[in-house]
Amino acid sequence: MATLNPPIRSASSRPPSLTASARLRRLARSYTLRVFAQAVVTVWAVITFTFFLIRLMPGNPVDVYIDFLMNQQNITYEEARARAASQFKFDPDANIFVQYGEYMGRLIQLDLGESITSTGTRVIEQIARFLPWTVFSVGLGLFISFILGVTIGTIMAYLRNSWLDNLFSLLASILGAVPNYIWGLLILIVFGVQLQWFQVGALRGTYNSSLTPGFNLTFLLSVLTHAALPVLVYVLGSIGRWMLNMRNSTIGTLGEDYVSVARARGLPPSRILLAYVGRNAALPMFTLLAIDIGFIIGGSVIIEELFVYKGIGSFLFWSISQRDYTSMQGVFLVITISVVFSNVLADLLYSQLDPRVRVGGGEK
Amino acid sequence: MVSQAAPTHERIIQTAPPRLMEGLLRPLRVFWRALRQNPVGLVGFSGLLCYALLITVGPLLVPFDNIVRLDQIAAPPGSRQVLLTRAEDAARYTTLESLAGRTVGYVRETGGEAFLRDYLRANPDAFQTEDTRWRSGRGVPDAMQALADGEIDALVVFSESVKRFIPHDPATPFTNLVVSNPALGAPHLLGTDTQGRDIFSHIVNGGSALIYTALLAGFFSSLIAVTLGSLAALIGGVVDNVLTSIANFVLTIPGFPLLVVLASLITLNNMVLLAALIGALSWPVLMRAVRSQVLSLRERDYVEAAVALNLGLPHIILREILPNMMSFVAINFIFAVTSAMYQQVGLIFLGMAPINDYTWGVMLYFGRTRGTLFSADSALMVLAPVLAIAFFQVSMVLFARAVEEMFDPRLRTAK
Amino acid sequence: MSESVLRIDDLSIVYRTARGLVRATSHVSFSLAKGETIALIGESGSGKTTLSLALIRMLPAAAQITSGAIHYTRNGQTRNVLSLSPGDMRAFRWKECAMVFQGAQNAFNPVLRIRQQFADTAAAHGIKDPEVVKARTLELLRLVRLDPQRVYDAYPHEMSGGMKQRALLALGVLLDPQVVILDEPTTALDILTQRAIIDVLNEMQKRLNFSIIFISHDLALAAEMADRVATMYAGEIVELAPVAEMFYRPHHPYTLGLLRSVPKLDQRRDDLVSIPGDPPNLIDPPSGCKFHPRCQFATDHCHQEAPPLVEYTPGHFAACWHTDKVAAARSGFIDLKEVKKDDRS
Ligand SMILES: Nc1ncnc2c1ncn2[C@@H]1O[C@H](COP(=O)(O)OP(=O)(O)OP(=O)(O)O)[C@@H](O)[C@H]1O
Ligand SMILES: [Mg+2]
Repeated sequence: MATLNPPIRSASSRPPSLTASARLRRLARSYTLRVFAQAVVTVWAVITFTFFLIRLMPGNPVDVYIDFLMNQQNITYEEARARAASQFKFDPDANIFVQYGEYMGRLIQLDLGESITSTGTRVIEQIARFLPWTVFSVGLGLFISFILGVTIGTIMAYLRNSWLDNLFSLLASILGAVPNYIWGLLILIVFGVQLQWFQVGALRGTYNSSLTPGFNLTFLLSVLTHAALPVLVYVLGSIGRWMLNMRNSTIGTLGEDYVSVARARGLPPSRILLAYVGRNAALPMFTLLAIDIGFIIGGSVIIEELFVYKGIGSFLFWSISQRDYTSMQGVFLVITISVVFSNVLADLLYSQLDPRVRVGGGEK
Repeated sequence: MVSQAAPTHERIIQTAPPRLMEGLLRPLRVFWRALRQNPVGLVGFSGLLCYALLITVGPLLVPFDNIVRLDQIAAPPGSRQVLLTRAEDAARYTTLESLAGRTVGYVRETGGEAFLRDYLRANPDAFQTEDTRWRSGRGVPDAMQALADGEIDALVVFSESVKRFIPHDPATPFTNLVVSNPALGAPHLLGTDTQGRDIFSHIVNGGSALIYTALLAGFFSSLIAVTLGSLAALIGGVVDNVLTSIANFVLTIPGFPLLVVLASLITLNNMVLLAALIGALSWPVLMRAVRSQVLSLRERDYVEAAVALNLGLPHIILREILPNMMSFVAINFIFAVTSAMYQQVGLIFLGMAPINDYTWGVMLYFGRTRGTLFSADSALMVLAPVLAIAFFQVSMVLFARAVEEMFDPRLRTAK
Repeated sequence: MSESVLRIDDLSIVYRTARGLVRATSHVSFSLAKGETIALIGESGSGKTTLSLALIRMLPAAAQITSGAIHYTRNGQTRNVLSLSPGDMRAFRWKECAMVFQGAQNAFNPVLRIRQQFADTAAAHGIKDPEVVKARTLELLRLVRLDPQRVYDAYPHEMSGGMKQRALLALGVLLDPQVVILDEPTTALDILTQRAIIDVLNEMQKRLNFSIIFISHDLALAAEMADRVATMYAGEIVELAPVAEMFYRPHHPYTLGLLRSVPKLDQRRDDLVSIPGDPPNLIDPPSGCKFHPRCQFATDHCHQEAPPLVEYTPGHFAACWHTDKVAAARSGFIDLKEVKKDDRS
């Protein structure tokens, strides 16, 4: 029914200037590049840091291991040293910086050395075995808590200062305050052991070991049920932060002029909610996402150990308790790299949603 | 904004110090009045008061119970260590002493091990033990099978968990016998642990080390953050760039795994070292906030004047800037303490931090390693410290949120 | 005057606050003719924004309309805006009456391109043909003297304040509304940009023939833009007159005060008088004429009884018991200080 007045003058038929959009695209690329460069520098710094930490620490693991070999296998210092050198993959007589160079060279070829305790196993293979489970459970937990928390936070903002909002604020504070492994312990004790809603023992591991991995329903179901507890705990541990932050961010956005103007323009409420309020309010969440990823992956060491979930976190703990320093070093690097590149991912996602960052750069 | 003339030299130097009592009491009164109107904050504040009392006065009232009482092993009220025998032997084996020379089995990580170890220490050569290799969970039925097959003569387990495995068949071949004192439970508020020690006394005494360490870590973290943040903002230039990069770097490396790795390389045998380590890894968030806060404070007249008068960095930070961000730093300090608690208890839970003090964390650690966590009877041994830690964290955060609301007029009017 | 598009009858609005009811608008009545521009002037807090927000029913939740009606006419059909259903109200906004908010530097969603925001607006009112929307958008952008190709694809942050303000004006007339409310549209802008905006506005109004409610603190601007001027004080219209009448022959002492407080090039500094006293407390307003505590001409009568809005000359309304004294003061016949003395004795 509604019509527009015919244009007063006919629209110009000049094609949109390519230079402008090309320039934009180039800037976008350079932003991506900068984010990646930063990430690579961070990873390099962590590698260097751990290398020197492990080598220069008083009673460093190499010496400890040499001692251990001498005592255990009754061999001479030289023999033990040679053995250690081959396992740690370094030339003990070389200058530490030469060692460092060689170490970096091998790292670039993804060679993280051999496991000390299970000789013959390459650390990188171990990592490839355990990492996917952590990526899967942490990723799923983060995804669920992000979506749920942001949705509830938005609702809280729309109903701000109602009893529902107050209740959820309190709940969110409590959820966020209690450490996630404490939630894990509570769930195990209350629902697993006391109420026996689930069989604690049966949920250990990453899937039912009697099944052969494959792309079938029973296996996938088994994978999901085994991941359920860690995922639940990751969700409980971080959903409170999403709720509160999204609530405050949405309340701030609801007060923005462009939201009032959008209403004055007669836009439908759904469009205002999604494209005007939601999208702007969610932007700061992506910076938080980066911090949360690191936090959850860090916490997975405890959570995986608690639920006997065989991911990279429990592998890190295992290698430390076995004094398997090569594995430990490798796993720590991989965890750091995962966190750093998750950060990159969050950054790029952010830049996709906020045109100001893409072009302006600068502030993170 | 009306642009004011910059304050003169005199005005800065000559701000007469308010009388001490008045200066101390007034903020307290204001604080209390604001807190009274904030029920959530009041709950948090009362919680913190309780914890303060608990760690200061508590140990004086309830001393740590470290007396192993074999006959009082109760775990929580109602649960007892029991001796399981074949039905036909029920009349023969009525006490542990009657088992002299027999083979007694136990299931690892159900508390049976500790029980028997302590018993045997007191009564050497009482009987043989056999480590039945079987662990908790699936281990108990296997152990019972061994008992039925006659491989062992008796089995020591928790009563409640055993009831779960005894078939309801009237022809059950087993009988069980309570070997720990069945009358126990009542005098112990939270029951006793696997060695017959009072859990409540452990809760009362197990908090101070954790809380002091967390406070110390929070203090280190805030100190580093405020110092570096103010320096970065006030000096600017290269210093700012370097400090910000370091903060970003520390922020990206996953703190907890690094702590775990460090704990494996350094012997973390004292509280201050642990607090310093945690503090050294957790300052960047606050540092970045302080930096931007100082950058904006810097624009204000009095700070600009102080900078112009070249009053020296420490003076500017301590006298001009810090008072203006006290509330802000206080809130972040509280959050730093909760995060230090998280990391510290996490480390202890994994067994990577000192367990000289029998803290709530250590109780969790034993819960995990001795398997009491997985036994319905002994749940309180873990549940009690779990709740103690959870309520501490909740009180801290509720209090912090209340303080946040008190100082942030934006949040207050949103109320 | 030609047909009226908007007629406001006895409109009163209060804000419920912790300290009591704020009577932000009291018994306001006026009508707006097609193609006409009315300027609302008055100091900060006099209720200008509140009044205009009521016209599109965008008052904050704390506000309540306590009396009155707003009649809107299109093609001979008249509806009361205050009784439109939510759906009709949504259709009414922007299509019939567009509002450019006070200080609307932030009026555009920062994460959407300008073209998207134009398309959103059109789509919300049933115009979905992308070609039509694009042609119209480019046309309007050109009309407000922006580079259409560049602005069309731009994000808000890529534009200056003046560019955004002009783009917003273009957006305002996208749906060809009959009424455009401009709440201090030029306040945050430099003088040259202000000039450009005013020119653009005049040109657009000439072409599209919409009516304007123009709110401004800048009396010179109001004088240039408006056909009629309404002076608001403490939520009431105290004077309403054709622009020349208002500026050359003000009947209300408050209007006179406003005019005197504007510096002129040829004026000596001591001729510049600001209105004494503070704006009135709207929770507990003064009795009688609300202006009397600040008025040089106030008598006991002003204290006791509020003056009605009376038409003195055709089209010139004022609410004052002492328009004659104002007229005298205006022409400089009586020394202001003496008037005060006389009243006392
Ligand atoms: N949301 C609100 N809650 C309570 N009172 C309000 C609210 N908004 C405005 N008021 C009050 O209503 C009165 C009129 O305000 P309004 O914004 O309409 O004034 P204005 O004439 O537009 O002023 P300005 O020239 O500064 O824009 C003022 O006294 C103001 O304090
Ligand atoms: Mg206004």
